[in-house]
Amino acid sequence: MQGLTRYKLIFLLPGLLILLGIILFPLIFTVRVSFSGWDAIRPGLDWIGGTNYGRLFADGRFWQSLSRLGAIAFTSVVLEYLLGFGLALLVWRQVKFRRITRVLFLIPMMTTPVVMAVIWRTIFHESLGPANDLAGMLGLGTIPWLTHSAWATVVVILVDVWQWTPFMFLLLLAGLLSLPKEPFLAAAIDGAGPIRTFFNVTFPAMAPISVGALIIRLIEASKIMETVYVITSGGPGTSTETSSYYIFIRGLRDFQIGYAAALSVTYLVIMIVLLTIIAKILTKTLVKPGA
Amino acid sequence: MAKIELKGIGHAYTSIDGEPDYALFPMDLTWEDGGTYALLGPSGCGKSTMLNIVSGILTPSQGRILVDGVDVTNLGTTKRNIAQVFQFPVVYPAKTVYENLAFPLRCARMERTKIDKRVNEVAELLNLDEILQSPARRLTPDLKQLISLGRGLVRDDVAVILMDEPLTVIDPQLKFSLRRKLRDISARHGHTLVYVTHDQNEAMTLAEQVVVMGDGRIVQMGTPQELFENPLHEHVGYFIGSPSMNFMDAKVKGGVVFVLDLPVGVLEQARLSDDAQIKVGIRPEFVHIQEDRTEQSFCAQVLDVQDLGNSAIVNVKLSDDINIKLKLRENAPPIGSTCFIGLEPQMVRYYLDGIAVQ
Repeated sequence: MQGLTRYKLIFLLPGLLILLGIILFPLIFTVRVSFSGWDAIRPGLDWIGGTNYGRLFADGRFWQSLSRLGAIAFTSVVLEYLLGFGLALLVWRQVKFRRITRVLFLIPMMTTPVVMAVIWRTIFHESLGPANDLAGMLGLGTIPWLTHSAWATVVVILVDVWQWTPFMFLLLLAGLLSLPKEPFLAAAIDGAGPIRTFFNVTFPAMAPISVGALIIRLIEASKIMETVYVITSGGPGTSTETSSYYIFIRGLRDFQIGYAAALSVTYLVIMIVLLTIIAKILTKTLVKPGA
Repeated sequence: MAKIELKGIGHAYTSIDGEPDYALFPMDLTWEDGGTYALLGPSGCGKSTMLNIVSGILTPSQGRILVDGVDVTNLGTTKRNIAQVFQFPVVYPAKTVYENLAFPLRCARMERTKIDKRVNEVAELLNLDEILQSPARRLTPDLKQLISLGRGLVRDDVAVILMDEPLTVIDPQLKFSLRRKLRDISARHGHTLVYVTHDQNEAMTLAEQVVVMGDGRIVQMGTPQELFENPLHEHVGYFIGSPSMNFMDAKVKGGVVFVLDLPVGVLEQARLSDDAQIKVGIRPEFVHIQEDRTEQSFCAQVLDVQDLGNSAIVNVKLSDDINIKLKLRENAPPIGSTCFIGLEPQMVRYYLDGIAVQ
């Protein structure tokens, strides 16, 4: 038996070492760096205790970026979910164009975020962009897309929705296609119309997949960075600055490595706790036990 | 309640070289008002196709379907007033049992007080009245299946109740009680009931009339007793009864049928030629072991014995080509021994090319 355990260890060891090297080492190193005063002037792993963390709790800009991130991520994920579900319901029964729509919908996901962000920035350019031409034609006047904090936030959300709705769509479509037929037949026999069928059959059956899709997207959206960087650079002022972008500024622009590490670790802990709670709540409300 | 008529109903999902590839060959069938019918057949014989045509889920490629003389072939499922119970229990998981039962009535925009009355009636009938307020998703499969049935029964204008193998996912113990409950309910209310199954016991205990199907065709329709005693087709002999009917190659000489040179019966009317490829069929229940050898007893060697507790199934060898089974109430002879067996003369049936000869 002992020989067997040793064999198991020998076979598992390479994998474990790689895992350790890839995931755990950077994580542990970051934690260590966060307790150092490593910056452009004094590079190196000295020990300054919790000074970085103390500074962080007083840093209003970080907490603002975090709450802003929450608002942006929440709004865009909800919009993506609603749009994605709607589109999936539209093409679900449609057999003819399913393949072509799938490919079309994949395009936004496949484009490089930086390239499409540049294109969107051009679209929303105040004097050159077609967005304001359109607004002018509709009699809305010139909209300060990227220079007004509320509008800039709208643009960031819009671009995220444009890029990630297809992901929701594909995930939910796959879910819809995997549903059993009988409940729908039963609903038809019971005389339920499309709206009743949706709320009593489709939606409850899709709840587990919805929770999965929402969580995956929330995790992804909470890391939003390239879009902000290219379109608004966090501006005007700091009004579209998200956490990862702020960490980027502190770490790579100001080169305060120690402080950025402390920010990252805090961000990670907050995200893990928050997402776990959100996942629990979603599961409790949408997916009923035993259903 | 209604009388259902299928007129020339047939369905092909695909066609080969322009010829329809029938899953269900065109057929006529009438289900009388208030009757209970079972569609019995192996998987893929077309029984579910037929049921889906009746419920309107499938539009047949040819033929018409009449409910009380009214053509409903092109009507949607909702308008046909049909109740259907599927193989897997379907409940609305977010609703209570009460809400589940009330759902079809809500869809029909019935008044609240009327709904309440109907739901309580049906709940009482199905013994669901004590769990009316519990959430439907937590129930056991058999209760869920009762709810599916209840959603059909709650509408008082239901034309026919269709059941597509509703007991498949139910535990054997509960299966028995649920089956009895289904029969009670259909008997008490006089619903027209069509029950699809591949389990002959289920079909035989539930239905007054059993429709045996095979390869997209109706092979025989009759009461359980008729099907057991007089299979009109070899397929029915095989499919109904456990173990299935014994078939033996036989020869005809001047109207007398011989198996292994022993006369087993006379076929005068059929006027068969002497070289006809006839088969003799007999149920294992009607083959007996004899104490003494008579002119009509076969000499047989016991190959194996399956003890079923209250009876035994004995496999014996009559010759190199012929093995038959016996179902014995009395003690079985030991394996390897030789015994004499006789066939009950009035229970011997004859088949030519798979079809019964009278």
